[in-house]
Amino acid sequence: MTITVTPEVFNYVWFDADVIRNIATGLVDALGMNDYEVIIDVDETTPLSGISCEIGETIHIRACSGAFEDTRKPRQQSETATATSIGRVLLRARDRLVGGFGEAPADNDLSLAQVAAWETYSLGRLDRLGVPTNQQRWRYNFRNRLGFTDATDGAFEKIWGSDGLTWGELCAISETAIPSAAK
Amino acid sequence: MADPYKPRAPFAPWDRRTLPGIFDVEESARRVGNYKWTEMKLFEALGGWVATVPELDVKMRLGTHCYKHAWHAELWHKRLPELREMNPERLTAPANDAMVRFIEAMTEPEGPELTIEKLVGVYRVLIPRFIAAYTYHLNGTSEITDAPTIRSLKFILQDEFDDWRDGEMILQSLIETPEEAARAAAHMQKLEAIMIEAGGIAGIGTLGSL
Amino acid sequence: MRKFFPVEDLARDSRFSKITIADRMADQRTALNVNVNGDADGPSKRTNNMRLVPSRRDASDGARGLMHGIFVGEIQALEGAGRTCWDFETGTEAPFALKLDMARQCWDEARHVEISVKLSDWMGSEIGQYAENTVLFEAACSSDPVLRLAGVNRALEGLAIDVFTTMKEFGDLAGDQYLEFCEDWMLADEVTHVKMGSDWLRKITENDPERRKKALEFQNVVDKLFSYGGTRSDSQESPIGLARRFRELAGFTDAEVEDIAEVSMQALNERKVVVGQIREAKRLADQSAHK
Repeated sequence: MTITVTPEVFNYVWFDADVIRNIATGLVDALGMNDYEVIIDVDETTPLSGISCEIGETIHIRACSGAFEDTRKPRQQSETATATSIGRVLLRARDRLVGGFGEAPADNDLSLAQVAAWETYSLGRLDRLGVPTNQQRWRYNFRNRLGFTDATDGAFEKIWGSDGLTWGELCAISETAIPSAAK
Repeated sequence: MADPYKPRAPFAPWDRRTLPGIFDVEESARRVGNYKWTEMKLFEALGGWVATVPELDVKMRLGTHCYKHAWHAELWHKRLPELREMNPERLTAPANDAMVRFIEAMTEPEGPELTIEKLVGVYRVLIPRFIAAYTYHLNGTSEITDAPTIRSLKFILQDEFDDWRDGEMILQSLIETPEEAARAAAHMQKLEAIMIEAGGIAGIGTLGSL
Repeated sequence: MRKFFPVEDLARDSRFSKITIADRMADQRTALNVNVNGDADGPSKRTNNMRLVPSRRDASDGARGLMHGIFVGEIQALEGAGRTCWDFETGTEAPFALKLDMARQCWDEARHVEISVKLSDWMGSEIGQYAENTVLFEAACSSDPVLRLAGVNRALEGLAIDVFTTMKEFGDLAGDQYLEFCEDWMLADEVTHVKMGSDWLRKITENDPERRKKALEFQNVVDKLFSYGGTRSDSQESPIGLARRFRELAGFTDAEVEDIAEVSMQALNERKVVVGQIREAKRLADQSAHK
């Protein structure tokens, strides 16, 4: 397993490339992705919290600095935020590579509702891996995309507690919240 | 339907209000002026303390109670001209010098670690004194001639009871050790001593004489 | 207890972490899409539309962050109004009726803190989860009550009108009736507070044009401070829009609203230029380091 983090030295934020590497190593190991080379590029010039992942010969993660930031102490790193952000995209990558998500649209083509459903699925699994999560945060995110209804909350609970879903199964559960929302 | 022109007693059988009261207009106005002054000092202190207490629930309670006491001061401010005091500021005064010293001592604590002292002064000393003074006024004043004061007293007493209960419950939740209980008692004793000297919100005779 | 309470002494429990305006200005990162001239960076991964709307990809996180900002802002507004009750002598320094208004504002702000806590729970945030910028209370530290009203009631509460309008619209568009309901109520209070400030400013300075001028200048400074980095303006690049209709209801004249719009745009453009310069300096430094 090779994990590369750039930049090695941060100028805009007080992040530590070694900490990022160690957290990523732990996650890659826990997710059984040791066969993959992982590159993590951090754009430290933006405080936004976006993170994306490209799967080719390597798994290439691009993160805005806000994705790893401690919101209590701006510009400082949060290990929990780092683990949550990297864990989310690694799980998505693993789903695409081995988990029955072959027919899922490319990341840029996912609808907001599909992203929310997949995030929920990933966060539930990260929670069970021991990464601290605030379930209500992700429930709120899910509701924002699939509606503020009891059916939405039911779908959320089901997705959060699931393992081994396929893309089709994930979409089917989402559809119980609001028909066609997962499309 | 009953004949609307049939003479009826001006006071229904269940209306037992009576004319006599123990305060004349002048005494009533003096007391109301003392009430207004003290309510003002209290709302100002509660407002000032909001920034000094770290406990979030206490901050919100102080902010809420600040308004209630300001409203009481306003009610008394509006009552004064109706009691022949056309310059309400003239009677907006402390009952005596000891009352001034009491307020100074009550508002002295500032540090973030002194929430217990702040609350003890308000909820274990001053507000019980308000409840006593207002209840005495309510029970003693003429039910007919002083009805506007009675109406205000009833509104205000409801607030005072609610706020006292809020403050006392917060205090009970903050006082966790015998040392903290001793701190609370010591501060209460210090303030009570000055209040005894003052004689109450309206001075000596706040509760009449036994 | 002292008169005039310094911002650095604001009491908070251990969950809170305070930052100052200096800390914020030292952060050279920006979400804006700019180059050295302050113009758009050309085809870029950064968007030119930063307005907080549900269609933004990070909408729920953005809303949670803004909600926490509202929460700490309400605490500071409560503290500021409370200090105005205490800091000024009744009659000689501040009219009795003005202090009654400030006490009323304390109650309103205390309720807003309560509402914000409930909304933060609803949105999945924890108390203290985001750093607290104490700039709002700093506007409440003036030794002249008129300046304080201009800074707090007109600038700060005016910003609150903009923020609540943005959040109310967010709730409406997202179908979050709970959020929309709460923001609507808070917005009603804020319009009242701004009107209070506008009325007192006019009343107290009726025969003192110099003092009025000073107060309005102070308000202008605070308005610009609150627009720092382009957080609030008419531009879609700002997360928070300018709520013109509610500002009019609150007693702002058309000319005053235009002034704030201009100041906010200036702040946005200045920030873009500064960020562009910082980036260019860094690019040059990197170039020379690699030579």
